[in-house]
Amino acid sequence: MSEQKKYFLTEQGLKELKKEYQILKELRNAKTKGEAPNVLESEDLNPEYLSFQEDLEFLETRLTELENILESFSLIKKPSKTDAKKVGLGAIVTVQVNGDKDEFTLVGTLEANPALGKISDESPVGNALLGHKVGDEITISSPVKTIYKIKKIRYS
Amino acid sequence: MKNPVFKRGFMIMTKIVKFFHEIGKLKDMPRRGWVLIGEKNPASIMDHSYRMAMMTWILGNKKRINTNRAIKIALIHDLCELYAGDTTPYDNGFKLPKDKKEWPKIFDCWPRFSRQEKINNFTRKHKKEQAALTKLTSQLEPFLKKEIMELWKDYEKGTSKEARFVRQINRLETLFQAFEYSKQSKKRPYHSWWVGAEEHIDDPLLKEFMHEIAKKFYPKK
Repeated sequence: MSEQKKYFLTEQGLKELKKEYQILKELRNAKTKGEAPNVLESEDLNPEYLSFQEDLEFLETRLTELENILESFSLIKKPSKTDAKKVGLGAIVTVQVNGDKDEFTLVGTLEANPALGKISDESPVGNALLGHKVGDEITISSPVKTIYKIKKIRYS
Repeated sequence: MKNPVFKRGFMIMTKIVKFFHEIGKLKDMPRRGWVLIGEKNPASIMDHSYRMAMMTWILGNKKRINTNRAIKIALIHDLCELYAGDTTPYDNGFKLPKDKKEWPKIFDCWPRFSRQEKINNFTRKHKKEQAALTKLTSQLEPFLKKEIMELWKDYEKGTSKEARFVRQINRLETLFQAFEYSKQSKKRPYHSWWVGAEEHIDDPLLKEFMHEIAKKFYPKK
């Protein structure tokens, strides 16, 4: 049996997942209390009924997924003064790449959204930044060589 | 002619025809990035979505995900671009050189933004695309309209594992195409897409796939 994956969540991320879990549970209760569209007499299946069934199936899957996460998550906490000098989960890192400034927040895979500047600690760049300090240069060279120079690390 | 599907009021045929006519236009809408690099025959938004759906299906089979849902997300994720247009990160206040021949050079580097700029760019794009998708699906039956919108919102937020998987497939299909163009034209390696992918891809299977793409297309030094 494979080991259960551990998910890292910020407080905000945890709050959102808990909220989603409650909403989906209420939705499942409502859906299973007789809201199913009738299957009309025909050789064809009612598309609304099929959609409802798929909805329900997805709801169940998502609820199970959320239960697994909520059972095994690890909360991203603000680090100690010493650890705050290093890049860790939850850090907002300012870097210089090819002369341009960029900013990332390092998060767990569930909260990653690079378009919003949140990169996963499991991505090649996110992973390479972990544990580094201001002034460090991280080179990622497979196959394009890119140098990330850490200019600032902060935790909110 | 009595068709039981329509007898039940599933959908009005004229509206279905109109919807497919509209989305068919995506076949002729070139992806913005390929226009910027000066491709003479740039892949369209629909070309991109089709290969993404195939990649989602084939690669998704190796994952514990609902491939049916994931394929649907791949198919609908760019429908909004019919009215909202396709934008690249380079369209967010990035000054393009006056000489079009210089445009491919901007793809040597991935565009960089502050955290707040990223949030602003994302919010602006999201609002525009949501309005476009609402318009496009307005004539569809409510359950379909709702499903498409919910799948798109899932994709945008990356809520489900299917959505997060497809978002990374989106990056990889684009990377794949960039490498193909690069090889065909023998002009530039288009580093930008690779660097962007290294900040986006975190799924172990897709990281492996990304490196296989590189092995195929990237010349060894």
